[in-house]
Amino acid sequence: MEPYEIVATTFGIVMLLLTARELIRRKKSVLQYSFWIALWIVLILVGTVPQFYFTLLFVTQELGMYTPIHFVTTFSVMVLFGVAYYLGKRIAELDDKLSAVVQHIALQTANTKPLDPKKERGTSSTRSL
Amino acid sequence: MRTVCIIPALNEENTISRIVSEALKHCDTVLVVDDNSQDHTSELSHQTGATVIRHILRLGTGGALSTGFRASLKAGFEAFVTMDGDGQHTPSEIPTVLEPILKNQADIVIGSRLLKRPRSMPLRKRIGNRILSIATSFASGTKITDSQSGFRAYRREVLEYAMHRARDYRWASEILLLAAKANFRIKEVPVTAIYLPKRQRGADVKDGLKILYSTIKRPKSVGFL
Repeated sequence: MEPYEIVATTFGIVMLLLTARELIRRKKSVLQYSFWIALWIVLILVGTVPQFYFTLLFVTQELGMYTPIHFVTTFSVMVLFGVAYYLGKRIAELDDKLSAVVQHIALQTANTKPLDPKKERGTSSTRSL
Repeated sequence: MRTVCIIPALNEENTISRIVSEALKHCDTVLVVDDNSQDHTSELSHQTGATVIRHILRLGTGGALSTGFRASLKAGFEAFVTMDGDGQHTPSEIPTVLEPILKNQADIVIGSRLLKRPRSMPLRKRIGNRILSIATSFASGTKITDSQSGFRAYRREVLEYAMHRARDYRWASEILLLAAKANFRIKEVPVTAIYLPKRQRGADVKDGLKILYSTIKRPKSVGFL
């Protein structure tokens, strides 16, 4: 077994176990983690059955690429850009929601009944708007 | 006209008591929006006589002002003054900023730091401010000399229509562009700005570029009501 095969297999198995543990812990469906599970399985296959990598040659040639490595790098980068875009969008959405929640809590905590503020001055009680 | 002075504050325990007590002489209510300070800003503001709203997480100046505007609109105030809590603005100038609103001469009044003694502003900030003010003037169609000033007064109708969305320093230009789009009257009055060398915070180059981009892009209208 070549060193890269050992590294790929070990990494794939560890990540698959971590993903499985996360899946069980959070009680999520397999579908939500399907992308990652498929990725780790492919990685394990590449390590344990190196011939699998060369079967890509057919796909590679169909797509007009010279070697499987071109296919793997090009599509990996494309997928990663897609994932980065999606995560960025999701973070921005969550950021907006978080800010709405913070403002909502702040406004709920404050008493917003209109009072005559001049009368309120100098007291140490909870002041309201 | 019931007036409220909204002060967004972040770790301003050294100055907030003085600002609140002086602002209370000119406004019916002083509202301090504590943007998750880690010092005694909230306690000191409350003791001095301000109403305090506290964020459980830091949102930024724009976020704090937005919270203050929402609370004040709900409470039925008619005129709104905003100023910094770090002592850069002089509360005794609140009547100057508020006067055009009370006399129905303007809908937004900007306390311009560059109309009175422009040299008091550090050169780096003056250059950045000039660029952003030109961009804001161009986008809004109104001549503005200090688009980034936080010392302002608003009529209620403006905030009902033109509530900003930006949580950072972009709020300053955004609200002006929204108001200009709706043909609200914008006026500037000269104010003094005090810059203490040890306490120079505010927008940096990165913030400036973000403001410039959002000014060119122009914001979409977001009303409160």
